Amino acid sequence: MNAPTPGKTLLIVEDEILPAMALQAELEDAGYHVMDLTGLHQEALAAARERKPDLALVNIRLQGRDDGIALAVDLKAMGIPVLFISGQVSRARTAQTVAIGSLPKPYDAADMVAAVDYLLARLTGDESLPRPFHLEVFLPVTGSLLPDAAE
Amino acid sequence: MAAPVPSYSEQAALSLAMAVVASSPGPLLLLDGDLNIVAASASFAEAFDIDPASVAGRPLAALGAGEWAAPQLQALLDATASGAPTIEAYEMDLKRRGRKTRRLIIHAQRLVYLDLGNPRLLMAVTDVTDSRASAKAKDETLRQNLVLLQEVRHRVANSLQIIASVLLQNAKKTQSDETRGHLKDAHNRVMSVAELERQLTGSGDGHLDVGVYFTNLCASIEASMIRDHDLISLDATGAGGVVPVRVSTSLGLIVTELVINAVKHAFPEGRHGKIVVDFALHGPNWVLSVTDDGVGMPTDTAHIRVGLGTSIVQALAKQLDATVETEPGHPGTRVAIIHTQIALVDEDTVDDADAPAVALPAA
Repeated sequence: MNAPTPGKTLLIVEDEILPAMALQAELEDAGYHVMDLTGLHQEALAAARERKPDLALVNIRLQGRDDGIALAVDLKAMGIPVLFISGQVSRARTAQTVAIGSLPKPYDAADMVAAVDYLLARLTGDESLPRPFHLEVFLPVTGSLLPDAAE
Repeated sequence: MAAPVPSYSEQAALSLAMAVVASSPGPLLLLDGDLNIVAASASFAEAFDIDPASVAGRPLAALGAGEWAAPQLQALLDATASGAPTIEAYEMDLKRRGRKTRRLIIHAQRLVYLDLGNPRLLMAVTDVTDSRASAKAKDETLRQNLVLLQEVRHRVANSLQIIASVLLQNAKKTQSDETRGHLKDAHNRVMSVAELERQLTGSGDGHLDVGVYFTNLCASIEASMIRDHDLISLDATGAGGVVPVRVSTSLGLIVTELVINAVKHAFPEGRHGKIVVDFALHGPNWVLSVTDDGVGMPTDTAHIRVGLGTSIVQALAKQLDATVETEPGHPGTRVAIIHTQIALVDEDTVDDADAPAVALPAA
């Protein structure tokens, strides 16, 4: 298991609380700081404005009528990279311009930690980590993973 | 000069031609070179609601309320009457006031017969409105079913994710190492089925390539169970093969149990080693094996405990009509699940290249 960069902050936006809790526990055990869980678009945006996370893990189906792809568009505009964590693989692929990767459900929590390690390393130009098997990386060209903040 | 009176045999031939056209089961018109109707089938009059008695001698363009006067159709028929090639399949909409538009396919050809001075065209009309609508409805049903199937698979994936998450949470919270081990095993079993579901998302026919499935499954198990990848490696080998989903579910669970067992017991005290999952398919027969190069089985049978994993492997093997053989691997252990079905093979199944390579065991 690769050690994550200390102090990195993650935002999990997921409508199902139990997978979100399991993910939070696993990522915290791996050394990440995980912000308060939410399944709502506006709540996630407010939290992201308050403390800009290094990576947002976003499910495509969110609470109510909220949609993870719309949230990813807003997060990208704020310069926050997004990893889709949804079983809606084809929808995630169609939205690959607003995210840097996709690890579809059902995922193993350990796989998710490896995916986060890998993407955060790639964002800082470190390509030494092996790509987790189920992780689909969008825009794989070196240096292109950081979204451009519109603000 | 008056036209010569046809002989009796000519009249008989003409009457036969008219009778053939009139009795055609599909809408049919016989036209002269000026596109006047010489004869129409009863089916044409019925299909397009035209009085059969008023048809003969009228221009095609004057039929009904003029709905057949489409300029492009007239131009094509004129050209064909003048010697241009046959109109194979001209599609047109027949628009009539107060009625639904009908989609028609027109086939028209100039007849080759003795009287070259009087060209005749045979025009067949096929109404494809209903068949097109039916095909469209069928396509729409198929599309809706695919959307539904995707939604069901998405929900299954979601449910498995919740179950796996709960098991993992429980494993983390429990104080007992033994209980934690059991819960993690259960988590791995759920993830084995989850991997299968993931695989099925790309396959719609109820069959699965075991080679790809085992490769992905091993990657999942490796990520969740093997902490130090430099110490223990886990690989899937063999050409694989396509098997029904029911079979692959059981095979995946067997692999999970055997790999869990090898990871737990074959490499004590930081021992290096490798685990290999192999699947060999020979027609209806197959052998699944999990081999490790670890410490091997205890020689003292009193130390061999039959755990849940062993029971699951035995039960699933029985369900697949297979036997379990455990043997020393020099070093390590090889467990093989062997399914031999030669005597039960249906010849048609073997000959059919599209049939699944593995037959389902008798229920």
